[in-house]
Amino acid sequence: MTTITQESTNQALQKAVNNWLDVHWDTANRRPVNATEYDERSWLKQVLDAGYCVPSWPKKWFGLGLTMQQSVLIDRTFQARKAPGTGRDRYHLGAITLSKMGNTELKREMLPQLLTGPICCLLYSEPNAGSDLAGVRTRADLDGDSFVINGQKVWTSDAVSADYGMLLARTDWDVPKHQGLTFFLFPMKQPGVEIRPINQITGESKFNEIFITDARVPRRFVIGDLNEGWRSFQTAIAYERLIMGQGITERKRGAANEGVHPLIALAERTGHLDDPIFRQRIAQAIAYREVNKLNNERAKDEMQSSGGMSLMSLSKLAMSRIQHGEAAIATDLLGAEAMLDGDSALDSANANFDAAKAYMNSIGGGTDQIQRNIIAEKVLQLPKELDASKGVSFRDMKSNSSAS
Amino acid sequence: MLKSLHEDDRSAMRESLSRFLIAEADEATLRRGIDFSQGYDPKLWRQICEMGLTGIAVAEVFGGAGGGAKDVEMVCSQLGRALNPMPFLDSCVIGTGLLTACSRNTHLKHIIENVVSGASIVAIGGNAPFVPLQDSRHNLTIHADHTISGTVSLVLNAATADFILIGITVDDQIKVFIVPTQANVVCTAQQANDPLLRPCAVRFENAAAIELNALTETDLEQARLRGVAALAAWQAGAARALFEVTIEYLKTRYQFGRPIGSFQALKHMAADLFLEVESATSAALAAAEAIDEEKLEVARTVALAGFVCTDVFREVAAQAIQLHGGIAYTQEHIAHLYWRRSRAMLPMLGSADKHREDYLKALEIAA
Repeated sequence: MTTITQESTNQALQKAVNNWLDVHWDTANRRPVNATEYDERSWLKQVLDAGYCVPSWPKKWFGLGLTMQQSVLIDRTFQARKAPGTGRDRYHLGAITLSKMGNTELKREMLPQLLTGPICCLLYSEPNAGSDLAGVRTRADLDGDSFVINGQKVWTSDAVSADYGMLLARTDWDVPKHQGLTFFLFPMKQPGVEIRPINQITGESKFNEIFITDARVPRRFVIGDLNEGWRSFQTAIAYERLIMGQGITERKRGAANEGVHPLIALAERTGHLDDPIFRQRIAQAIAYREVNKLNNERAKDEMQSSGGMSLMSLSKLAMSRIQHGEAAIATDLLGAEAMLDGDSALDSANANFDAAKAYMNSIGGGTDQIQRNIIAEKVLQLPKELDASKGVSFRDMKSNSSAS
Repeated sequence: MLKSLHEDDRSAMRESLSRFLIAEADEATLRRGIDFSQGYDPKLWRQICEMGLTGIAVAEVFGGAGGGAKDVEMVCSQLGRALNPMPFLDSCVIGTGLLTACSRNTHLKHIIENVVSGASIVAIGGNAPFVPLQDSRHNLTIHADHTISGTVSLVLNAATADFILIGITVDDQIKVFIVPTQANVVCTAQQANDPLLRPCAVRFENAAAIELNALTETDLEQARLRGVAALAAWQAGAARALFEVTIEYLKTRYQFGRPIGSFQALKHMAADLFLEVESATSAALAAAEAIDEEKLEVARTVALAGFVCTDVFREVAAQAIQLHGGIAYTQEHIAHLYWRRSRAMLPMLGSADKHREDYLKALEIAA
């Protein structure tokens, strides 16, 4: 096999990846060569051993030391062959956070397992800790070599499939709220973990509530340091927002993404394509999307050249106005018909779904309002808001729930 | 077509132009421009010429630097930052662009060399798509003896220009002429809302005109595209500079015993404006790149920059005043100068709504 490096041409990189896939992946049957069926863990192990699982990570940490652009190219090459398993340096939030914040022993022990398994679920929000996430009340009490966890988490997707979750829990109640938190790699498959699905506004139920009663986490599964969990969490949430800003949460409608833009097609079907007012609105909506793409490209250059994240912070906010805006135009194009739903009114069903789903971006991962605070304070360096809980120990802080 | 300069050269030029403008084109210098017939200190323009910027988009054979749209983007975004009303767009982007396309005419070649050296300035009027301020009600007529008569009501900098480039529709065809201003051209200054702009009504009385008859439709469209991209870069630069002034004010102005930037109501406006400013820069850069790389979607990308940057400059200027409060309701503060310019620029080279329509048309054609 030829060695690929950051200096390799795209052509050489694609050739190397395709050569590897020729030997290992049976595209026609969508399974590994010489296998009778597709087994996820054993295939992911092969991808991991080849370095293609996390190509932009250093060689000593399961990667190939390539650039993020090269990692994207590898992802495209895999996709063309319908082969799964690459691009986990961009999508596997649990592994990314562990690699950034975990200690060497934990990384060595757990990264291979995480990278060859399902993605981690996120155990952050609670019924009384939403925008004010540092107010979480799930408790972690040290008992011998492990922590005992009790509490309730919410808005957790992929909870059933996940082997591990990233858990934010309180380990010290007598210090201000940010200072008593610890970030854990939490084993999901154990007694005391109850998963209940949530029926969402879109009609989907991708999120769950998690009730945790006397569950356990080994002490060595702390990500970062004890009571320093807010820092580790910041790293995890920044990557989550980054992924959301790239529109990963959007439903892809196959062929609709090629050729005629869906809004232009809908305007044509509804007889509004010559309406100058709709034309202005449609052009603006499409432009917001194109400009966000241009911003994201500059953001990647910025990250690569200086490690700066200021442009990255904008894409999730931009995506909110894109999604809400497009859904509003679709609804208006449909007129009275938009009140219909179901398979016999597919355009309406899509518009209604999209109008509801847009809140996933503008609320999930931190509301637009929280995101604006973050941009203003972290990027533009505006002074912080007066914080009523500053310097107050968590136990004495005012909240909706009774103090523990 | 011209390609752009090497990236390192462009960075170095940006660096020195930025330093020069900070030192020599500060707010006091800008305000002094009000008392000059040009709207700017001509000494400043001479220095810009000496830095080689007037010829940045002109081929080396005419004494230019041989740069492309990305280099023009760099210059315009810096000039926009300083809000300077120097005639770079008309004279050195659209003007030289059209003239160099007909450069086999030795007389025109001479004019180009003079524009590059700074000896001459070109103003632009008429109703052709490449004309920054279009006057659809002009009554210009061309006589058989190659002279021009009639009036065009809005031409920027005509009174101080050495030549006026006229683009008009004759029998559904665009005709372009260049007219020396020495004889039979009467410029009447019009009062502008922006105290730094110098619009004139221009009356031609059998003035001698040279037709740029070698221009193809592609040449005319190139001049328009390069003009829109340059204007967009200028607007993006101006919006960013005023945004920075505003953010600084939010950090230093105290009310209720704390900086006003700590209030969420203002933070959220600032975050939204930041998104707008970055979007304008992205769109302007993409347009310049599309021109230099002769991309298939160049018309769409330039239209995008055309309306994004016009809208963003208008929005940032308007909100900057609101964020400042009373201090920006005075003429002592600089915000009103940005605000007036943002409004004067709304119709330049096509309105935002027109560019939006062009953008959608380009998408429909591509599909």
